[in-house]
Amino acid sequence: MPDARARQRVLIVGLGGLGCPALSVLARVPELELWLCDDDVVELTNLHRQTLYRDADVGHDKLAAAQQALIAGGVAPERLVAVRSRLLPENARRLVSRVDLVLEGADNFATKFLAADAAHLEGRPIVHGAAVRWVATAWAVAATGAPCYRCLFEDVPPGAQQGCSEAGVMGPVVGFCGALMADLALRVLSGDATAFSSLYTFDGQRDHLRQVPAAPRPDCPLCGSSPSITDILEARYTTPSCAA
Amino acid sequence: MITVRIPTPLRSLTGGEEQVQAPGETVKAVIETLEQKHPGLRDRLLDEKGVRRFVNIYVGDEDIRFLDGLETKLKAGDEISIVPAIAGG
Repeated sequence: MPDARARQRVLIVGLGGLGCPALSVLARVPELELWLCDDDVVELTNLHRQTLYRDADVGHDKLAAAQQALIAGGVAPERLVAVRSRLLPENARRLVSRVDLVLEGADNFATKFLAADAAHLEGRPIVHGAAVRWVATAWAVAATGAPCYRCLFEDVPPGAQQGCSEAGVMGPVVGFCGALMADLALRVLSGDATAFSSLYTFDGQRDHLRQVPAAPRPDCPLCGSSPSITDILEARYTTPSCAA
Repeated sequence: MITVRIPTPLRSLTGGEEQVQAPGETVKAVIETLEQKHPGLRDRLLDEKGVRRFVNIYVGDEDIRFLDGLETKLKAGDEISIVPAIAGG
């Protein structure tokens, strides 16, 4: 067994449709310690895509169900760290500072921007992923933080946005995206600098994966030349959430 | 003609169509043409500064931010993709 002190720590933000397939892969890498961050419960409508859960888990919390599934599959319990909370403004920097990489599969924009900001401020790499209906996106941001999530999407969109509970999400698409996120995470952790700066977009109706370059935005409020985001302020992260 | 792929959140403006076609020599011209047929589309993509934040527009596989923005030239057969920020999984 690898020396526990040598393990790399990955914070999994959200044990939903993206977190489940990513976890299934990352849990098979004995050199990783996985910090599982979620406070949600399993719902019947989750089961088609959140592959760690079974019918009997409906109504129970995802954290316990995910741990149980992984341990039953042979994952050493000491490699799993339970964080029974959402990623919140009051805990984001502390959690992120204690890991080597953040894998963000949150279902709402507020958490996505919060994770992006915390990762940049703490100098940690982050892999973002999202999927709605037939479309998924994934990309990795370096510890140096440029280009970052805000370079592309700038700020939390105002008003209600369609998420998975409103628009639906296809199981294979979200599974593909979760696997791609795990791939990016492993590349980042192994020191592959080519993992960064490309936005991957997957169209499940065409089975087309597009890889486009992303570049830093000079006036980015997070990683630009004169950043205005230098700390986590709760008021910055308000948007309706999409129930997983 | 230019093919424009419409993301899910905007399909209510195109009668549910996943892709539409319009003539135009630049990205901006295509958007203006589409606005005539699908009122409201332009405002979902553009604001007074240009392309709205949380929206990315591609010509083929190239983000127009790294081309000439809304003035990016098009040729017949080009495909424009609209990729908004999404959250879900």
